[in-house]
Amino acid sequence: MTYLSRIRLNPLRTKTQSFLRNRQALHAVILGGLSRQPVTERVLWRLDTTNRHRLSLLVLTETRPSWEHLVEQAGWPSSDDPQAVIKAYQPLLNQVARGRQFAFRLHANPVSTTKKPTRPSPEQRDRLTASLRPRGVRVPHRTAAHQLRWLRDRLERWGFQPLTGDHGPTAYLVAQERLSFDKRDGEKSRRVTLESATFEGLIEVTDRQTAQRSLLDGVGPGKAYGMGLITLAPPHPHPAGA
Amino acid sequence: MTAEHTAISGWYLVLRLAGPLQSWGGHSQFNRRDTQAEPTKSGIIGLLAAAQGRRRHDPIEDLLGLSFGVRTDQPGSMLRDYHTVSDLRGRPLLSATVNAKRTQKTTSPPKLTHVTRRFYLQDAVFVAAVNGPRELLESLRDALYGPAFPLFLGRRACPPTQPLLLSPSDDNPQTLWPGTSLLDVLRQVPWQAGEAHRRDRDGHRRTTLPVTIDDPSGDDIRADVPVTFDPHHRDFTSRRIRQEWVVLDDDTSSTREDDHDPFALLGGDR
Repeated sequence: MTYLSRIRLNPLRTKTQSFLRNRQALHAVILGGLSRQPVTERVLWRLDTTNRHRLSLLVLTETRPSWEHLVEQAGWPSSDDPQAVIKAYQPLLNQVARGRQFAFRLHANPVSTTKKPTRPSPEQRDRLTASLRPRGVRVPHRTAAHQLRWLRDRLERWGFQPLTGDHGPTAYLVAQERLSFDKRDGEKSRRVTLESATFEGLIEVTDRQTAQRSLLDGVGPGKAYGMGLITLAPPHPHPAGA
Repeated sequence: MTAEHTAISGWYLVLRLAGPLQSWGGHSQFNRRDTQAEPTKSGIIGLLAAAQGRRRHDPIEDLLGLSFGVRTDQPGSMLRDYHTVSDLRGRPLLSATVNAKRTQKTTSPPKLTHVTRRFYLQDAVFVAAVNGPRELLESLRDALYGPAFPLFLGRRACPPTQPLLLSPSDDNPQTLWPGTSLLDVLRQVPWQAGEAHRRDRDGHRRTTLPVTIDDPSGDDIRADVPVTFDPHHRDFTSRRIRQEWVVLDDDTSSTREDDHDPFALLGGDR
């Protein structure tokens, strides 16, 4: 079974602010919501910041999670409103069929890999010369045009295609953000910097199996930092940007 | 509540008044040029007359019979312009006193520049509805599509942004708005505020906008009805108005979060 959860976060609380600053810490607290420890399953999540006064955290897990600790630390623990909603994901997966149309939202880390980076760091140079057939290094797409092309090139690989409107394909870039935080690795700590882009629009399912896989496994890199979760919603009559 | 102005016809001309700057003078004279918080009736009648190509001394009696209502979609903010005046020949400015020949004396000691105060609304958006005989409204609408003189929002330096005319249907941009009253029409017109203003109001599901409409039994008076625009006999009379609110159930004003609800397709089981 797969479950989708939504937890409301109170941005006025100190703990929430530390989670906002550091995706590493947020990832850790999310994994703490799973009872089967150590966590071996793939957990996808996304922080929606469209409402400045109440953030919402979406989490996709394979086992049923529990969010009391997160609500306790960063939500409104004694509020009347339910702070965490957990629902089975199967009803959505059942609706994913060839030709079905959905509105989507994706927060992703658009990157491409290259074996010839223009300015490799010392570590990258070592890695590229270490073996005969080295893995390329990831370089982020920074401009809106590159990020959109990244999305459009990959949608088909993920089992979808963007719907075409009057002004071209209906997939939009709605936000860009550079995330930067310290990742502690034992004694040492190193800086993680990620380019993130949020996409929205209307898509159609072209391949049921592939689309379900992309929904469950996520897309692109940076999944531990809240990227790669595609969410689907009913197609809205007024898509963003129209 | 008081009865509203009886509609002359069931048709309304709806204007969107938006631009970087607008300035709607009320009692402004001399060196201080104020702006009202919303468009004046004289400003709108002047705009319509300019579109038709009337000159300042041409009669405007037919336009004075129009009834008028304005809705504030985005209030904007006040801008005070630092503005100096001087004689372009470099001579001293004139004083208020006259000599024996009844010509104005120059200032002594000579005063070469002085500051005038001009006020503008920046970033404001208004929706104005005008009611009158249908033929007149249609001729005004046609004139606004091809204005004879340049149109401006209260002052010559304030050009309007497009679209100036709003129409109820996208298919036929030349249609008038049907309605039973000014208030009814101003309730129908979608919210015209810009993207940034909408974002500031994120989270308000319903939009409440202030409206000022002509009403013979209204409880307030505005002295902004022109008798004539003739520069030698400029004169204004007053009109009675009523101030109201309209509530728009505008789904574009809802938060973006609600636009995308991944739980909408997940059914009711928990």
